Amino acid sequence: MLKIENLVTRFGSVVAIDGVSMQAQESKITTVIGANGAGKSTLLRTISGLEHPSSGSITWKGQSIIGKRPEDIVRLGIAHVPEGHAVISELSVEENISMGSLFRRRKFKSDITPAIDEMYELFPRLKERRKQLAGTLSGGERQMLAISRALVSRPQLLLLDEPSLGLAPLVVEQIIDSVNILCRSTGLSVLLVEQNANTALGVADHGVLLALGKVVADRPASELKADAKLRAAYLGY
Amino acid sequence: MNTFLAALSLGTSRGAIFALVALGLVIVWRGAGIVNFAQMGQAMFSTYIASTLITNGYSYWLAFFAALLSGAVLGALLDIFIMRPLSNKKQSELLSSESMRAAVPVIASLGILGALQALAGIIWAAEERGFPSPAKQEGFTVAGTVLPFTSFDVFVVSIVTVALILTTLFFTKTGIGLAMRATALNQEVAKLSGIRTNRTRTISWAISGAASSLAGLLITPTSNLSPNTLDLVLIVGFTAAVVGGLDSPVGAVLGGFILGMVISFVTFYDTPEDVFLAILAVLLAVLIIRPRGILGSKDARRV
Repeated sequence: MLKIENLVTRFGSVVAIDGVSMQAQESKITTVIGANGAGKSTLLRTISGLEHPSSGSITWKGQSIIGKRPEDIVRLGIAHVPEGHAVISELSVEENISMGSLFRRRKFKSDITPAIDEMYELFPRLKERRKQLAGTLSGGERQMLAISRALVSRPQLLLLDEPSLGLAPLVVEQIIDSVNILCRSTGLSVLLVEQNANTALGVADHGVLLALGKVVADRPASELKADAKLRAAYLGY
Repeated sequence: MNTFLAALSLGTSRGAIFALVALGLVIVWRGAGIVNFAQMGQAMFSTYIASTLITNGYSYWLAFFAALLSGAVLGALLDIFIMRPLSNKKQSELLSSESMRAAVPVIASLGILGALQALAGIIWAAEERGFPSPAKQEGFTVAGTVLPFTSFDVFVVSIVTVALILTTLFFTKTGIGLAMRATALNQEVAKLSGIRTNRTRTISWAISGAASSLAGLLITPTSNLSPNTLDLVLIVGFTAAVVGGLDSPVGAVLGGFILGMVISFVTFYDTPEDVFLAILAVLLAVLIIRPRGILGSKDARRV
Protein backbone atom coordinates (compact mmCIF):
# COMPACT_ATOMS: atom_id res chain seq x y z
CA MET A 1 0.00 0.00 0.00
CA LEU A 2 2.79 2.39 1.03
CA LYS A 3 6.10 1.53 -0.51
CA ILE A 4 9.38 3.20 0.38
CA GLU A 5 12.52 2.59 -1.66
CA ASN A 6 16.10 3.71 -1.00
CA LEU A 7 14.90 6.75 0.89
CA VAL A 8 17.55 9.24 2.04
CA THR A 9 16.74 12.28 4.18
CA ARG A 10 19.44 14.68 5.34
CA PHE A 11 19.62 17.61 7.73
CA GLY A 12 22.57 19.57 6.40
CA SER A 13 25.45 17.12 6.54
CA VAL A 14 23.68 14.70 8.90
CA VAL A 15 22.07 11.73 7.19
CA ALA A 16 19.00 10.85 9.27
CA ILE A 17 17.52 8.28 6.88
CA ASP A 18 20.14 6.36 4.96
CA GLY A 19 18.67 4.29 2.15
CA VAL A 20 15.56 2.86 3.80
CA SER A 21 13.32 0.47 1.88
CA MET A 22 10.17 -0.87 3.52
CA GLN A 23 6.41 -1.21 3.17
CA ALA A 24 3.26 -0.62 5.15
CA GLN A 25 0.72 -3.30 4.37
CA GLU A 26 -2.98 -2.74 3.91
CA SER A 27 -5.11 -3.16 7.05
CA LYS A 28 -2.08 -4.22 9.07
CA ILE A 29 -0.10 -2.64 11.85
CA THR A 30 3.51 -2.16 10.83
CA THR A 31 5.85 -0.96 13.52
CA VAL A 32 9.17 0.78 13.15
CA ILE A 33 11.30 0.29 16.25
CA GLY A 34 14.79 1.37 17.16
CA ALA A 35 16.79 3.37 19.64
CA ASN A 36 16.65 7.12 20.05
CA GLY A 37 18.15 8.80 16.99
CA ALA A 38 17.60 5.83 14.68
CA GLY A 39 15.63 8.03 12.29
CA LYS A 40 12.15 6.76 13.12
CA SER A 41 10.49 10.15 13.47
CA THR A 42 12.28 11.52 10.41
CA LEU A 43 10.94 8.58 8.43
CA LEU A 44 7.35 9.48 9.33
CA ARG A 45 7.97 13.18 8.79
CA THR A 46 9.33 12.44 5.33
CA ILE A 47 6.28 10.35 4.44
CA SER A 48 3.86 13.06 5.54
CA GLY A 49 5.73 15.76 3.62
CA LEU A 50 7.13 17.71 6.58
CA GLU A 51 10.68 16.87 5.52
CA HIS A 52 11.97 16.58 1.97
CA PRO A 53 14.06 13.54 1.04
CA SER A 54 17.22 14.01 -1.00
CA SER A 55 16.69 10.78 -2.92
CA GLY A 56 14.60 7.62 -3.06
CA SER A 57 10.90 7.10 -3.63
CA ILE A 58 7.69 6.92 -1.63
CA THR A 59 4.75 5.40 -3.47
CA TRP A 60 1.22 5.48 -2.12
CA LYS A 61 -1.28 3.28 -3.96
CA GLY A 62 1.00 3.23 -6.97
CA GLN A 63 1.49 7.01 -7.09
CA SER A 64 4.58 8.91 -6.00
CA ILE A 65 3.94 11.34 -3.16
CA ILE A 66 7.39 12.86 -3.04
CA GLY A 67 7.38 16.65 -3.25
CA LYS A 68 3.74 16.93 -2.21
CA ARG A 69 2.82 19.27 0.66
CA PRO A 70 1.65 17.87 4.01
CA GLU A 71 -1.82 19.39 3.51
CA ASP A 72 -2.18 17.50 0.21
CA ILE A 73 -0.84 14.23 1.58
CA VAL A 74 -3.59 14.25 4.25
CA ARG A 75 -6.08 14.60 1.42
CA LEU A 76 -4.70 11.42 -0.14
CA GLY A 77 -5.56 9.50 3.02
CA ILE A 78 -2.35 9.53 5.06
CA ALA A 79 -2.74 11.12 8.50
CA HIS A 80 0.26 11.81 10.72
CA VAL A 81 0.22 12.13 14.51
CA PRO A 82 3.63 13.65 15.22
CA GLU A 83 5.69 13.04 18.32
CA GLY A 84 4.83 14.75 21.60
CA HIS A 85 1.02 14.79 21.81
CA ALA A 86 0.71 17.32 19.01
CA VAL A 87 -2.43 19.26 19.79
CA ILE A 88 -3.00 23.02 19.87
CA SER A 89 -3.17 23.90 23.57
CA GLU A 90 -4.91 27.24 23.04
CA LEU A 91 -7.86 25.64 21.20
CA SER A 92 -10.64 23.63 22.79
CA VAL A 93 -10.85 19.86 22.52
CA GLU A 94 -13.72 20.15 20.07
CA GLU A 95 -11.85 22.71 17.94
CA ASN A 96 -8.80 20.46 17.83
CA ILE A 97 -10.88 17.58 16.55
CA SER A 98 -12.90 19.55 14.02
CA MET A 99 -9.70 21.13 12.75
CA GLY A 100 -8.85 17.73 11.27
CA SER A 101 -12.12 17.61 9.36
CA LEU A 102 -12.07 21.14 7.96
CA PHE A 103 -10.75 20.11 4.56
CA ARG A 104 -13.56 17.57 4.12
CA ARG A 105 -16.33 20.10 4.73
CA ARG A 106 -17.13 20.72 1.10
CA LYS A 107 -17.07 17.22 -0.33
CA PHE A 108 -18.28 15.22 2.66
CA LYS A 109 -20.47 17.68 4.46
CA SER A 110 -22.89 15.11 5.89
CA ASP A 111 -20.04 13.02 7.28
CA ILE A 112 -18.42 15.66 9.49
CA THR A 113 -20.63 15.32 12.58
CA PRO A 114 -20.68 11.50 12.47
CA ALA A 115 -16.89 11.43 12.15
CA ILE A 116 -16.48 13.68 15.19
CA ASP A 117 -19.01 11.65 17.17
CA GLU A 118 -17.06 8.48 16.40
CA MET A 119 -14.00 10.05 18.00
CA TYR A 120 -16.00 10.77 21.15
CA GLU A 121 -17.17 7.15 21.14
CA LEU A 122 -13.60 5.91 20.77
CA PHE A 123 -12.37 8.20 23.56
CA PRO A 124 -15.34 9.09 25.80
CA ARG A 125 -13.10 11.14 28.08
CA LEU A 126 -12.67 13.67 25.30
CA LYS A 127 -16.42 14.14 25.10
CA GLU A 128 -16.59 15.06 28.77
CA ARG A 129 -13.92 17.67 28.16
CA ARG A 130 -14.99 18.97 24.76
CA LYS A 131 -15.25 22.62 25.81
CA GLN A 132 -11.95 22.63 27.73
CA LEU A 133 -8.78 24.01 26.26
CA ALA A 134 -6.49 21.22 25.06
CA GLY A 135 -3.72 22.66 27.23
CA THR A 136 -5.63 21.65 30.36
CA LEU A 137 -5.72 17.94 29.44
CA SER A 138 -3.52 15.22 30.90
CA GLY A 139 -0.79 13.68 28.75
CA GLY A 140 -2.89 10.64 27.91
CA GLU A 141 -5.92 12.71 26.98
CA ARG A 142 -3.76 14.90 24.79
CA GLN A 143 -2.48 11.85 22.93
CA MET A 144 -6.06 10.66 22.46
CA LEU A 145 -6.93 14.08 21.13
CA ALA A 146 -3.98 14.10 18.73
CA ILE A 147 -5.03 10.70 17.41
CA SER A 148 -8.66 11.84 17.06
CA ARG A 149 -7.54 14.92 15.18
CA ALA A 150 -5.82 12.62 12.68
CA LEU A 151 -8.56 9.97 12.50
CA VAL A 152 -11.38 12.43 11.91
CA SER A 153 -9.92 13.00 8.44
CA ARG A 154 -10.85 9.35 7.76
CA PRO A 155 -7.38 8.24 6.67
CA GLN A 156 -6.51 4.88 5.17
CA LEU A 157 -3.06 5.01 6.71
CA LEU A 158 -2.29 6.37 10.17
CA LEU A 159 1.29 7.40 10.96
CA LEU A 160 1.65 7.26 14.71
CA ASP A 161 4.84 8.63 16.28
CA GLU A 162 5.72 7.43 19.80
CA PRO A 163 2.24 7.48 21.30
CA SER A 164 3.69 6.04 24.51
CA LEU A 165 6.09 8.94 25.08
CA GLY A 166 5.83 10.20 28.65
CA LEU A 167 2.67 8.26 29.49
CA ALA A 168 1.86 5.82 32.28
CA PRO A 169 1.86 2.12 31.20
CA LEU A 170 -1.87 1.76 31.79
CA VAL A 171 -2.65 4.74 29.57
CA VAL A 172 -0.28 3.47 26.89
CA GLU A 173 -2.08 0.14 26.90
CA GLN A 174 -5.44 1.84 26.57
CA ILE A 175 -4.32 3.95 23.62
CA ILE A 176 -2.58 1.10 21.82
CA ASP A 177 -5.67 -1.07 22.37
CA SER A 178 -7.93 1.54 20.81
CA VAL A 179 -5.69 1.78 17.76
CA ASN A 180 -5.54 -1.99 17.50
CA ILE A 181 -9.32 -2.37 17.68
CA LEU A 182 -9.72 0.36 15.08
CA CYS A 183 -7.30 -1.35 12.73
CA ARG A 184 -8.97 -4.74 13.09
CA SER A 185 -12.54 -3.46 12.84
CA THR A 186 -12.24 -0.81 10.12
CA GLY A 187 -9.29 -2.03 8.11
CA LEU A 188 -7.21 1.05 8.89
CA SER A 189 -3.51 0.60 8.13
CA VAL A 190 -1.13 1.79 10.80
CA LEU A 191 2.54 2.68 10.72
CA LEU A 192 3.55 2.80 14.37
CA VAL A 193 6.88 4.25 15.44
CA GLU A 194 7.94 3.24 18.93
CA GLN A 195 10.92 3.24 21.20
CA ASN A 196 8.98 0.96 23.49
CA ALA A 197 9.59 -2.14 21.34
CA ASN A 198 7.77 -4.63 23.55
CA THR A 199 4.48 -2.79 23.44
CA ALA A 200 4.78 -2.14 19.72
CA LEU A 201 5.74 -5.69 18.72
CA GLY A 202 2.96 -7.03 20.96
CA VAL A 203 0.31 -5.41 18.81
CA ALA A 204 1.93 -5.19 15.37
CA ASP A 205 1.78 -7.66 12.47
CA HIS A 206 5.08 -6.67 11.04
CA GLY A 207 8.19 -5.05 12.47
CA VAL A 208 11.02 -3.04 11.00
CA LEU A 209 14.11 -2.43 13.09
CA LEU A 210 15.97 0.77 12.33
CA ALA A 211 19.49 1.67 13.49
CA LEU A 212 21.35 4.85 12.53
CA GLY A 213 19.02 5.45 9.61
CA LYS A 214 19.32 1.97 8.13
CA VAL A 215 17.00 -1.03 8.14
CA VAL A 216 18.55 -3.81 10.23
CA ALA A 217 15.66 -6.24 10.23
CA ASP A 218 12.32 -6.45 8.43
CA ARG A 219 10.24 -9.41 9.63
CA PRO A 220 6.92 -10.50 11.12
CA ALA A 221 6.53 -8.91 14.54
CA SER A 222 6.39 -12.23 16.39
CA GLU A 223 9.74 -13.32 14.92
CA LEU A 224 11.35 -10.03 15.76
CA LYS A 225 10.04 -10.25 19.28
CA ALA A 226 11.51 -13.72 19.73
CA ASP A 227 14.96 -12.80 18.45
CA ALA A 228 16.87 -12.23 21.68
CA LYS A 229 20.16 -11.54 19.93
CA LEU A 230 18.75 -8.72 17.83
CA ARG A 231 17.05 -7.19 20.83
CA ALA A 232 20.16 -7.28 22.93
CA ALA A 233 22.23 -5.72 20.16
CA TYR A 234 19.92 -2.93 19.11
CA LEU A 235 17.40 -2.29 21.85
CA GLY A 236 19.52 -2.96 24.89
CA TYR A 237 17.49 -5.62 26.69
CA MET B 1 -20.25 68.75 33.83
CA ASN B 2 -20.07 70.05 30.29
CA THR B 3 -16.37 69.42 30.13
CA PHE B 4 -16.99 65.90 31.36
CA LEU B 5 -19.60 65.18 28.68
CA ALA B 6 -17.38 66.69 26.03
CA ALA B 7 -14.43 64.55 27.11
CA LEU B 8 -16.64 61.48 27.22
CA SER B 9 -17.96 61.96 23.71
CA LEU B 10 -14.61 62.76 22.19
CA GLY B 11 -13.17 59.73 23.96
CA THR B 12 -15.88 57.54 22.48
CA SER B 13 -15.40 58.65 18.91
CA ARG B 14 -11.59 58.57 19.04
CA GLY B 15 -11.71 55.29 20.96
CA ALA B 16 -13.81 53.67 18.27
CA ILE B 17 -11.16 54.40 15.66
CA PHE B 18 -8.31 53.14 17.82
CA ALA B 19 -10.43 50.06 18.43
CA LEU B 20 -10.71 49.46 14.70
CA VAL B 21 -6.94 49.82 14.20
CA ALA B 22 -6.30 47.46 17.11
CA LEU B 23 -8.82 45.01 15.65
CA GLY B 24 -6.89 44.96 12.37
CA LEU B 25 -3.67 44.22 14.26
CA VAL B 26 -5.36 41.41 16.18
CA ILE B 27 -6.62 39.81 12.97
CA VAL B 28 -3.13 39.52 11.49
CA TRP B 29 -1.75 38.41 14.85
CA ARG B 30 -4.34 35.66 15.14
CA GLY B 31 -4.22 34.63 11.52
CA ALA B 32 -0.53 34.93 10.71
CA GLY B 33 1.22 35.28 14.07
CA ILE B 34 2.92 38.61 13.41
CA VAL B 35 2.52 42.24 14.42
CA ASN B 36 1.98 44.22 11.25
CA PHE B 37 3.34 47.74 11.50
CA ALA B 38 2.64 48.36 7.82
CA GLN B 39 -1.06 48.31 8.55
CA MET B 40 -1.65 52.05 8.63
CA GLY B 41 0.53 52.43 5.55
CA GLN B 42 -1.88 50.10 3.80
CA ALA B 43 -4.81 52.11 5.19
CA MET B 44 -3.28 55.39 4.02
CA PHE B 45 -2.73 53.96 0.56
CA SER B 46 -6.28 52.77 0.05
CA THR B 47 -7.68 56.01 1.48
CA TYR B 48 -5.68 57.85 -1.19
CA ILE B 49 -7.27 55.61 -3.79
CA ALA B 50 -10.70 56.54 -2.43
CA SER B 51 -9.73 60.20 -2.38
CA THR B 52 -8.59 60.04 -6.01
CA LEU B 53 -11.87 58.41 -7.05
CA ILE B 54 -13.90 61.08 -5.24
CA THR B 55 -11.85 63.88 -6.80
CA ASN B 56 -12.59 62.38 -10.20
CA GLY B 57 -16.31 62.62 -9.58
CA TYR B 58 -17.21 59.16 -8.34
CA SER B 59 -19.61 58.82 -5.41
CA TYR B 60 -18.42 58.52 -1.80
CA TRP B 61 -19.81 55.02 -1.39
CA LEU B 62 -18.22 53.71 -4.56
CA ALA B 63 -14.89 55.09 -3.34
CA PHE B 64 -15.56 53.65 0.12
CA PHE B 65 -15.97 50.09 -1.16
CA ALA B 66 -13.16 50.49 -3.68
CA ALA B 67 -10.88 51.42 -0.77
CA LEU B 68 -11.93 48.36 1.24
CA LEU B 69 -11.33 46.15 -1.78
CA SER B 70 -7.96 47.68 -2.58
CA GLY B 71 -7.00 47.36 1.10
CA ALA B 72 -7.78 43.65 0.95
CA VAL B 73 -5.91 43.18 -2.33
CA LEU B 74 -2.87 45.10 -1.08
CA GLY B 75 -2.83 43.05 2.13
CA ALA B 76 -2.95 39.81 0.16
CA LEU B 77 -0.20 40.96 -2.21
CA LEU B 78 2.09 41.96 0.67
CA ASP B 79 1.69 38.51 2.15
CA ILE B 80 2.21 36.63 -1.10
CA PHE B 81 5.20 38.60 -2.36
CA ILE B 82 6.97 39.63 0.85
CA MET B 83 5.88 37.75 3.95
CA ARG B 84 5.53 34.27 2.45
CA PRO B 85 8.99 34.16 0.82
CA LEU B 86 10.47 35.48 4.09
CA SER B 87 8.86 32.83 6.24
CA ASN B 88 9.89 30.06 3.85
CA LYS B 89 13.55 31.01 4.09
CA LYS B 90 14.13 28.74 7.04
CA GLN B 91 17.69 27.74 6.44
CA SER B 92 19.18 31.15 5.83
CA GLU B 93 21.99 31.95 8.25
CA LEU B 94 20.31 35.14 9.27
CA LEU B 95 17.27 33.27 10.51
CA SER B 96 19.12 30.68 12.52
CA SER B 97 17.72 31.67 15.91
CA GLU B 98 14.09 31.43 16.89
CA SER B 99 13.89 35.04 18.06
CA MET B 100 15.39 36.32 14.82
CA ARG B 101 12.86 34.33 12.88
CA ALA B 102 10.08 36.02 14.84
CA ALA B 103 11.64 39.46 14.38
CA VAL B 104 12.16 39.31 10.62
CA PRO B 105 8.50 39.74 9.55
CA VAL B 106 8.06 42.59 12.03
CA ILE B 107 11.10 44.41 10.64
CA ALA B 108 9.85 43.69 7.13
CA SER B 109 6.49 45.26 8.02
CA LEU B 110 8.29 48.42 9.15
CA GLY B 111 10.10 48.44 5.82
CA ILE B 112 6.82 48.07 3.96
CA LEU B 113 5.40 51.01 5.94
CA GLY B 114 8.31 53.21 4.86
CA ALA B 115 8.03 52.08 1.25
CA LEU B 116 4.28 52.69 1.09
CA GLN B 117 4.66 56.16 2.58
CA ALA B 118 7.39 57.06 0.11
CA LEU B 119 5.38 55.66 -2.78
CA ALA B 120 2.29 57.62 -1.73
CA GLY B 121 4.43 60.76 -1.54
CA ILE B 122 5.64 60.16 -5.09
CA ILE B 123 2.20 59.43 -6.51
CA TRP B 124 0.03 61.91 -4.61
CA ALA B 125 2.53 64.49 -3.31
CA ALA B 126 3.29 64.74 0.37
CA GLU B 127 0.95 67.62 1.22
CA GLU B 128 -2.18 67.22 3.33
CA ARG B 129 -5.54 67.01 1.69
CA GLY B 130 -9.04 66.76 3.10
CA PHE B 131 -11.19 63.67 2.98
CA PRO B 132 -14.99 63.80 3.01
CA SER B 133 -17.21 62.30 5.67
CA PRO B 134 -20.39 60.38 4.80
CA ALA B 135 -22.34 61.96 7.67
CA LYS B 136 -22.74 65.40 9.17
CA GLN B 137 -19.92 66.67 11.32
CA GLU B 138 -21.93 69.05 13.48
CA GLY B 139 -22.01 68.27 17.17
CA PHE B 140 -25.23 67.20 18.88
CA THR B 141 -26.69 69.79 21.20
CA VAL B 142 -27.56 68.67 24.73
CA ALA B 143 -29.09 71.19 27.17
CA GLY B 144 -27.92 74.13 25.12
CA THR B 145 -24.29 73.08 24.72
CA VAL B 146 -22.81 71.67 21.55
CA LEU B 147 -20.97 68.43 22.22
CA PRO B 148 -18.01 67.21 20.18
CA PHE B 149 -20.11 64.19 19.19
CA THR B 150 -21.50 64.19 15.67
CA SER B 151 -23.66 61.99 13.44
CA PHE B 152 -20.38 60.93 11.89
CA ASP B 153 -19.22 59.70 15.30
CA VAL B 154 -22.42 57.67 15.62
CA PHE B 155 -21.61 56.19 12.23
CA VAL B 156 -18.06 55.36 13.37
CA VAL B 157 -19.16 53.76 16.62
CA SER B 158 -21.79 51.61 14.90
CA ILE B 159 -19.34 50.44 12.24
CA VAL B 160 -16.84 49.47 14.92
CA THR B 161 -19.51 47.58 16.83
CA VAL B 162 -20.53 45.65 13.71
CA ALA B 163 -16.87 44.95 12.85
CA LEU B 164 -16.24 43.61 16.35
CA ILE B 165 -19.26 41.31 16.28
CA LEU B 166 -18.41 40.02 12.81
CA THR B 167 -14.75 39.41 13.71
CA THR B 168 -15.61 37.54 16.89
CA LEU B 169 -18.19 35.36 15.14
CA PHE B 170 -15.82 34.81 12.25
CA PHE B 171 -13.00 33.57 14.47
CA THR B 172 -15.09 31.38 16.74
CA LYS B 173 -17.91 30.08 14.55
CA THR B 174 -16.53 29.56 11.07
CA GLY B 175 -14.22 26.92 9.68
CA ILE B 176 -11.94 29.44 8.03
CA GLY B 177 -11.70 31.32 11.35
CA LEU B 178 -10.64 28.11 13.09
CA ALA B 179 -8.15 27.42 10.29
CA MET B 180 -6.71 30.91 10.75
CA ARG B 181 -6.26 30.49 14.49
CA ALA B 182 -4.73 27.03 14.05
CA THR B 183 -2.30 28.35 11.42
CA ALA B 184 -1.10 31.16 13.67
CA LEU B 185 -0.77 28.91 16.74
CA ASN B 186 0.91 25.84 15.31
CA GLN B 187 1.68 25.70 11.65
CA GLU B 188 2.86 22.12 11.62
CA VAL B 189 -0.23 20.67 13.26
CA ALA B 190 -2.38 22.90 11.04
CA LYS B 191 -0.73 21.56 7.89
CA LEU B 192 -1.01 17.97 9.08
CA SER B 193 -4.73 18.63 9.63
CA GLY B 194 -5.05 19.48 5.96
CA ILE B 195 -5.24 23.24 6.38
CA ARG B 196 -3.70 25.14 3.47
CA THR B 197 -1.70 27.46 5.69
CA ASN B 198 -0.32 29.71 2.95
CA ARG B 199 -3.78 30.46 1.64
CA THR B 200 -5.15 30.92 5.16
CA ARG B 201 -2.46 33.44 6.02
CA THR B 202 -3.17 35.41 2.86
CA ILE B 203 -6.86 35.57 3.79
CA SER B 204 -5.91 36.99 7.22
CA TRP B 205 -3.83 39.67 5.53
CA ALA B 206 -6.67 40.51 3.16
CA ILE B 207 -9.28 40.83 5.92
CA SER B 208 -6.93 42.86 8.08
CA GLY B 209 -6.12 45.05 5.08
CA ALA B 210 -9.82 45.74 4.57
CA ALA B 211 -10.31 46.46 8.29
CA SER B 212 -7.45 48.94 8.41
CA SER B 213 -8.66 50.63 5.23
CA LEU B 214 -11.95 51.05 7.02
CA ALA B 215 -10.07 52.71 9.88
CA GLY B 216 -8.31 54.97 7.39
CA LEU B 217 -11.60 56.04 5.81
CA LEU B 218 -13.06 56.82 9.23
CA ILE B 219 -10.07 58.73 10.63
CA THR B 220 -9.19 60.97 7.70
CA PRO B 221 -12.36 63.12 7.74
CA THR B 222 -11.16 64.52 11.08
CA SER B 223 -7.40 64.33 10.61
CA ASN B 224 -6.84 65.05 6.90
CA LEU B 225 -4.84 62.79 4.63
CA SER B 226 -1.10 62.78 4.04
CA PRO B 227 1.41 59.94 3.73
CA ASN B 228 2.23 60.25 7.44
CA THR B 229 -1.06 61.24 9.06
CA LEU B 230 -1.85 57.78 10.28
CA ASP B 231 1.43 57.13 12.09
CA LEU B 232 0.12 58.45 15.38
CA VAL B 233 -3.07 56.44 15.03
CA LEU B 234 -1.01 53.32 14.50
CA ILE B 235 1.01 53.94 17.65
CA VAL B 236 -2.11 54.42 19.74
CA GLY B 237 -3.87 51.51 18.00
CA PHE B 238 -0.91 49.23 18.69
CA THR B 239 -0.86 50.31 22.33
CA ALA B 240 -4.60 49.59 22.46
CA ALA B 241 -4.06 46.09 21.08
CA VAL B 242 -1.33 45.40 23.65
CA VAL B 243 -3.42 46.83 26.48
CA GLY B 244 -6.43 44.69 25.49
CA GLY B 245 -4.41 41.55 24.79
CA LEU B 246 -3.03 40.97 21.30
CA ASP B 247 -5.08 37.88 20.58
CA SER B 248 -8.49 39.08 21.73
CA PRO B 249 -10.84 41.03 19.41
CA VAL B 250 -12.95 42.13 22.38
CA GLY B 251 -9.80 43.13 24.25
CA ALA B 252 -8.63 45.19 21.27
CA VAL B 253 -11.87 47.14 21.18
CA LEU B 254 -11.80 47.61 24.94
CA GLY B 255 -8.19 48.78 24.73
CA GLY B 256 -9.15 51.19 21.95
CA PHE B 257 -11.88 52.81 24.03
CA ILE B 258 -9.70 52.96 27.16
CA LEU B 259 -7.00 54.83 25.25
CA GLY B 260 -9.57 57.05 23.55
CA MET B 261 -10.90 58.05 26.97
CA VAL B 262 -7.43 58.56 28.47
CA ILE B 263 -6.40 60.80 25.59
CA SER B 264 -9.63 62.76 25.63
CA PHE B 265 -9.72 63.30 29.41
CA VAL B 266 -6.07 64.30 29.56
CA THR B 267 -6.70 66.76 26.72
CA PHE B 268 -9.69 68.33 28.43
CA TYR B 269 -8.64 68.29 32.08
CA ASP B 270 -4.89 68.59 31.75
CA THR B 271 -3.05 69.69 28.63
CA PRO B 272 -2.73 68.02 25.20
CA GLU B 273 1.03 67.96 25.69
CA ASP B 274 0.68 65.28 28.35
CA VAL B 275 -1.23 62.89 26.09
CA PHE B 276 1.77 60.79 25.14
CA LEU B 277 2.95 60.59 28.71
CA ALA B 278 -0.49 59.27 29.65
CA ILE B 279 -0.44 56.67 26.86
CA LEU B 280 2.96 55.52 28.00
CA ALA B 281 1.74 55.35 31.61
CA VAL B 282 -1.22 53.16 30.63
CA LEU B 283 1.01 50.87 28.59
CA LEU B 284 3.54 50.54 31.40
CA ALA B 285 0.85 49.90 33.99
CA VAL B 286 -0.66 47.10 31.90
CA LEU B 287 2.72 45.57 31.09
CA ILE B 288 3.66 45.53 34.77
CA ILE B 289 0.36 44.42 36.29
CA ARG B 290 -0.95 42.15 33.55
CA PRO B 291 1.63 41.58 30.79
CA ARG B 292 -0.68 39.49 28.66
CA GLY B 293 -3.17 42.37 28.34
CA ILE B 294 -6.60 42.76 29.87
CA LEU B 295 -8.27 39.94 27.93
CA GLY B 296 -5.26 38.26 26.36
CA SER B 297 -4.61 34.60 26.90
CA LYS B 298 -1.39 33.23 28.32
CA ASP B 299 1.58 32.82 25.97
CA ALA B 300 -0.13 34.98 23.42
CA ARG B 301 2.79 37.30 23.05
CA ARG B 302 6.27 36.25 22.12
CA VAL B 303 7.40 39.16 20.01
